[in-house]
Amino acid sequence: MKRKRSIYPLLMIFAIVMLTACGCAKKTVPPPPPGYGPENGAGMGGPSSGEMGGVSGDKWKRLGITSEAQKREFEDRAAAFENQDVYFDFNGYTLSDPAKRILDQKIDFLKRYSAVSVTIEGNCDERGTEEYNLALGERRADASKQYITTAGGGNFQLKTVSYGKERPVSTGHDEAAWAKNRRDHFALKY
Amino acid sequence: MFAAKRSLLLVGCCLLLLGAAGLRGAFAQTIYLDINNANFQKIPIAVPDFKSMSSDQQLSHQMADLLNNDLNISGVFRCLDPKGFPEDGQRMGLEASQINFQSWKQVGANFLARASYQVQGGSVRLDGRLFDATAGKLVGTPKSYGGDAGAWRQMVHAFANDILQMVTGQAGVFNTKVAFVQRVGGGKEIFVCDFDGYNPVQLTHDNSIDLSPVWSPDGSRIAYVSYRDGSPKIYVINVASGATHLICGYPGMNITPAWRPGGNELAVALSKGGSQDLYLVNSSGGIERKLNVGFGSSISVSPNWSPDGRKLAYVSNEAGGPQIYIYDLSSGQKKRLTYSGKYNTSPAWSPKGDWIAYCAQGGGGFDIYVIRPDGGDAHAVTHGGRNEAPRWSPDGRMIVYSSGYAIRIMDANGTRDWQLMRSPGGAQGLPDWSPRVNGK
Repeated sequence: MKRKRSIYPLLMIFAIVMLTACGCAKKTVPPPPPGYGPENGAGMGGPSSGEMGGVSGDKWKRLGITSEAQKREFEDRAAAFENQDVYFDFNGYTLSDPAKRILDQKIDFLKRYSAVSVTIEGNCDERGTEEYNLALGERRADASKQYITTAGGGNFQLKTVSYGKERPVSTGHDEAAWAKNRRDHFALKY
Repeated sequence: MFAAKRSLLLVGCCLLLLGAAGLRGAFAQTIYLDINNANFQKIPIAVPDFKSMSSDQQLSHQMADLLNNDLNISGVFRCLDPKGFPEDGQRMGLEASQINFQSWKQVGANFLARASYQVQGGSVRLDGRLFDATAGKLVGTPKSYGGDAGAWRQMVHAFANDILQMVTGQAGVFNTKVAFVQRVGGGKEIFVCDFDGYNPVQLTHDNSIDLSPVWSPDGSRIAYVSYRDGSPKIYVINVASGATHLICGYPGMNITPAWRPGGNELAVALSKGGSQDLYLVNSSGGIERKLNVGFGSSISVSPNWSPDGRKLAYVSNEAGGPQIYIYDLSSGQKKRLTYSGKYNTSPAWSPKGDWIAYCAQGGGGFDIYVIRPDGGDAHAVTHGGRNEAPRWSPDGRMIVYSSGYAIRIMDANGTRDWQLMRSPGGAQGLPDWSPRVNGK
C-alpha cells in the first residue's frame, strides 16, 4: 500500500496500462486511479504476441487459452468487454433494453472466460449532490451485477464500486455530456 | 447598566428590550443588544488603526482591517469608513481619559474598538478595549492576547469574538475553521482553513478520492470518506496530529458520516445489507444498531442530527426521487419533510434547531433552500446556480456551501454572500464548519 500511495495518480494509470499490457499476473488491483478522462483504453494494451513465454503462463491456463490465436481472440473480446459501458436515465438505475443487450454480450464473455473477475463501476452525471450520487452509482452497479448474475445463471466473480460523480468521462455541462457519464463501467482483472 | 440602557435607546432598539437587558444584567452579563429583534439595525462602530508600541508598524493597518472585516461579517456591526476618522490611530490614546469621544460620536460611531500591539522577537502582544462612544466609557474589561507573530490573525479574531460577546452576549465564530474537499492532481483531499479563508492546510495525503469531511463535536477530529483502499470507507483524522484510522470498512459503501451532538457516536450510511441504510456506530465504527428508516430497498443517505441529538434529517428515495425525511430515534417514527420538487438532498440542521438547510433542484439548477423542521416556510436562499452541500456556522448566522467549483459563505438570510477563498488552489466542495474550539 505504501508504495502505491506514493505514486502520483497519473503514474498509477500508466502503471496499470503497462501491467495489463505486459500480461503480468497481478493479484491485487491498486487503489482506483481517481483521475478524469476515459479509462476505456486503460484496460487493454495492444496485442502482446511477441512476448516471451507466449501462452504457457498460469494466467492463460486458467482462462483456458492454449494458443496465440485464442489469446488474440480473448484480448479482442476483453477490450470490447471493457469498452462497452451501460447507460442510465437521470436519477435512474433501471436497466433499459439496450443496456440489457450489452450485458447479455458480457454474460457470453464471462461464461467463456469464467476465470476473470469484474469490477462494475457505477457513475453519475455532475448534477445533484456528491453524496446522493454515491448511493445512486452503487445502485447502478448493483443493477448490472444483479442482471448478470440472474440472466447469466452463473457464479461469476463480480464486485461493485460507486464513484458517484467523481469520475466523469465527459467534462461538459450539457445533456450530451451527462448522458455519457451516467454509466456502469466494467473493469476486468485476470 | 445605566450606560447599557442609554445605548439601547440610541441605536434605536425596541424599548421592550430594556426589561430583558435588566434581567440579564442580574446574571452579571452585559448585553447591549438583542440581535434577534426584528427591528435590529446594524450598530456603527469605528476601528482606528492599531497603535504600534514598537518600531514595527506594518501590522497596524492590517490588524484594523481584519477586525473591520470580522465585525462586518458578524452582521451585528457596520464598520465606519476610516477616511472620516477624527483621530489618527497611531497618535490617539488607548484609554477612555485620552479619547475625545465627542468627536467619534460626531462621525456616527456608537462603539469604538481601540487596540495596541507590540512585536518582540517572534511574538506579538495585543491589547484591546471596546468603548461605548456615546457614554464615553469602557465596555467590559480590557483584553490581552499573545502568541507567535505568525498567529496575529488569531489574536485579532479573538478580540472580535470578545467584542461580540460583550455587546450581544454571544461570542463570534471568528476563530472557527472550515473543512472542505479540494482537488489535488487527479484526486481529492481534505483541507482546513480559517473561517475567512486564510491559512489553508492540506490535512490528508491519501492520493485518492476523499469526501464528506465532518468535524467531531469537540473540534479535535474529522470523520471523512476515502477511496484510498479501493472502495469508500469512513476514516477519522486527528486534526492536530494528522493521525488517521479506519472506523467503518464494511462490505459495500461506507459513506456520509455525521457525529451525534455531544456524544461519541456517528450516524453513517452503509450498504453492507444490500441497500444503503442508516446505522448508528460508535467512534470506533462498531455498529450499535441499524436505524430502520428505509422502506423496501430504498436508498437512505446523508444523515444530519438535530442539535439535541434526538432526530436525524436524511435523504431517502422511497417516494421515487430523493426527498428529505426526519427520523425520531426514540419513537422510531419518520416523516417526510420536503414535498416540493423532485430532488431534495443534503439536509443540514441549524444549531438552534429552527431551520433545516438543503439542496433542491429547481428550474434554474440546484440551489440552497431552508425549511422549518415542521415543513413550513420553505424558500430558496441562493438562486439559479450550482449550489449544493449547505452547512451552518456554529452561531447559526451563516451558511457555507459549494457553488460550482468554489466554496461560498452567506448570511443565513441570504443578504450577503462571498467566496471563502479569493483564489482557491483547486476545485472545492463539501464544506463543513467547525464548532467553536475551546468555547471560543
